[in-house]
Amino acid sequence: MDTLTGVEHLTEPDGFRNFVQARSSALLRSGWLLTGDWTSAEDLVQTALAAAWPRWPDLRRQDAPEVYVRKIMVNTFLRWRQRRWNGEIATGRLPEPTAYGDVFAQVDARQSLLAALDRLPARQRAVVVLRYFADQTESQTAAAMGCSVGAVKSHAAKALARLRDAPGLSELMTGGVAS
Amino acid sequence: MNMEERKLAELLHRIAPEPPRPVTVEQVAYRLVTDRQLRPRRSHLGRAPRPRRPGLSRAWAAPAAAAAAVVVIAGASVGIAALASSHHSTPPSGGAPASSTLSTGTVSSSPAQTSASPQSEPGTAIPGAPWDAQLIDHQMFFPDSLVSADGSLYGYGNGTLDRIDPATGAIMNTAQYSPAILNPPVVIGNTVWVVSSYNGGNVVLHGYDASTLAQTSSLLVPAIGGVSTGGQGVLASGPDGNLYVAAGDIVSVVNPASGQVTYRFQVTAGKATSVAVSPDGSRLYVGVGSSTSFKLLVYDVHSHIVVGSSTLTSGAAGGNLVATSGGVWGTTGSGHSEWVWFAPGGNLNRAVQVGRGAGGGFAAYPSYSGGVVWVGGSGDLVCASPATGQVLATADIAADNGAAQYLASPVVAGGQAYSYYQTAASQLTGLARVTPPASCTGAQGS
Repeated sequence: MDTLTGVEHLTEPDGFRNFVQARSSALLRSGWLLTGDWTSAEDLVQTALAAAWPRWPDLRRQDAPEVYVRKIMVNTFLRWRQRRWNGEIATGRLPEPTAYGDVFAQVDARQSLLAALDRLPARQRAVVVLRYFADQTESQTAAAMGCSVGAVKSHAAKALARLRDAPGLSELMTGGVAS
Repeated sequence: MNMEERKLAELLHRIAPEPPRPVTVEQVAYRLVTDRQLRPRRSHLGRAPRPRRPGLSRAWAAPAAAAAAVVVIAGASVGIAALASSHHSTPPSGGAPASSTLSTGTVSSSPAQTSASPQSEPGTAIPGAPWDAQLIDHQMFFPDSLVSADGSLYGYGNGTLDRIDPATGAIMNTAQYSPAILNPPVVIGNTVWVVSSYNGGNVVLHGYDASTLAQTSSLLVPAIGGVSTGGQGVLASGPDGNLYVAAGDIVSVVNPASGQVTYRFQVTAGKATSVAVSPDGSRLYVGVGSSTSFKLLVYDVHSHIVVGSSTLTSGAAGGNLVATSGGVWGTTGSGHSEWVWFAPGGNLNRAVQVGRGAGGGFAAYPSYSGGVVWVGGSGDLVCASPATGQVLATADIAADNGAAQYLASPVVAGGQAYSYYQTAASQLTGLARVTPPASCTGAQGS
């Protein structure tokens, strides 16, 4: 039984819809790299965008909405990782690939990538996604994660070292799978 | 970027697939109004604020049953009408979600709850939930942070340590706090202890006044060999009134009054990830593990020697240790699922699973409160004997309209049992009052 007690009017900020339409795909892909499945990625992106909504006018004035959204995404992801099982292994369903030359190789590549990312501690994984997928600078990454540039460099170096030794990934990094 | 970094960047862009569907503004708006942690300040809304509940420091403190709202996105070509109390469906793209199935209930008078506080407010019945679970508030907490002491509940909110009035679910006091690692608050006397920092060579503990949550102490506990990054339950108290801290290759015993480390147990099998002390103070249980193995060490507290050592046969990690008279309880898991085990006498070779555990990334862990051990999750609620591990009562947690529901392990405060409730999609959260059967009253002793 519902009990409606009032009506709240929520005003969509100017430019918010355009941003969501233009950037949700890239944000979702970052979320997928962070979490390893689309359900969690959508949850992450929706949470970050909802957090940005009330501050949208300020963020637009600062010309930094995407930086802020990614910051929320990363911090939410790090908080989730604290709450969830440390030994989790991504076994989520992978979407059907399309338009790839070698479908099976592409799926294998994704699984290898996710398995390698799963082996990284949460902060190293976040640095990899921000630095190398979202193309953020070291200082932007440091600001998003609330740490120093030196810490970002350290996380990145350790992550690269781990990825270098990840089974199947070194071949991919030398261009093993056609897109 | 060097060559290797450029190759990694190229790989990520090449392999990360396109999403199956975009995120829509309507979904974001729905999230905004249904997630209490995200709701905007009143200045962003077009209506006068409701009165806040006494002592509640957060905005949007309206009672759960009255939290329903209709949201209209101004300027959108297709507005959405979203019921904030409708928690059973994912937000549609441009359409209204399914209507709520919540119904207003009343406080139960089960034999197990005869000491119910007369001030308890009626809750909202949770369809499919066992033990007459009644949602009494919509606050969001870390599920595995809820503890009870002296008639109050304590838990971690979003960046806060909160003291909660169990009768109403209202937050009475709050302090800024972000958990450094998975560990519920530890209450000793009139002080609530939390792990403020858990990194590298030091552990920092903060103490708060249990009544006001004003910070009263800060203790630095040196670690040896660096702390584990996979700790779950790294701070515990003993009946001697001391704090026991997993601090890398040692477990430090800290006198909270003096702030001095009074003894260091050497842990040679690896980094300590979880600690617990038996109720009689004679045994210290130390979990040592990585993500693929878990070893349990049993120390004689008086002689300081290891009297037992065993390894989890499942080959998975473990943690969240809770000690009772009959042995030790803890968590293990696989993928996004985890469950609770009981090891009689601290011997993992004899460990048995208790309850069905939790899936979907929810936490399953043991809580020792009100004289019995409780295990929640997404499968069932269980109370068990602390002496033998025998299950005293169990009840299934049914899905509500196809959506999985989660009830954390209950804790007892003021004669009532309370559990943190959450739906699988996190669209409804809050504190639930549960009424377990009489067999869970702790008559079996500890």
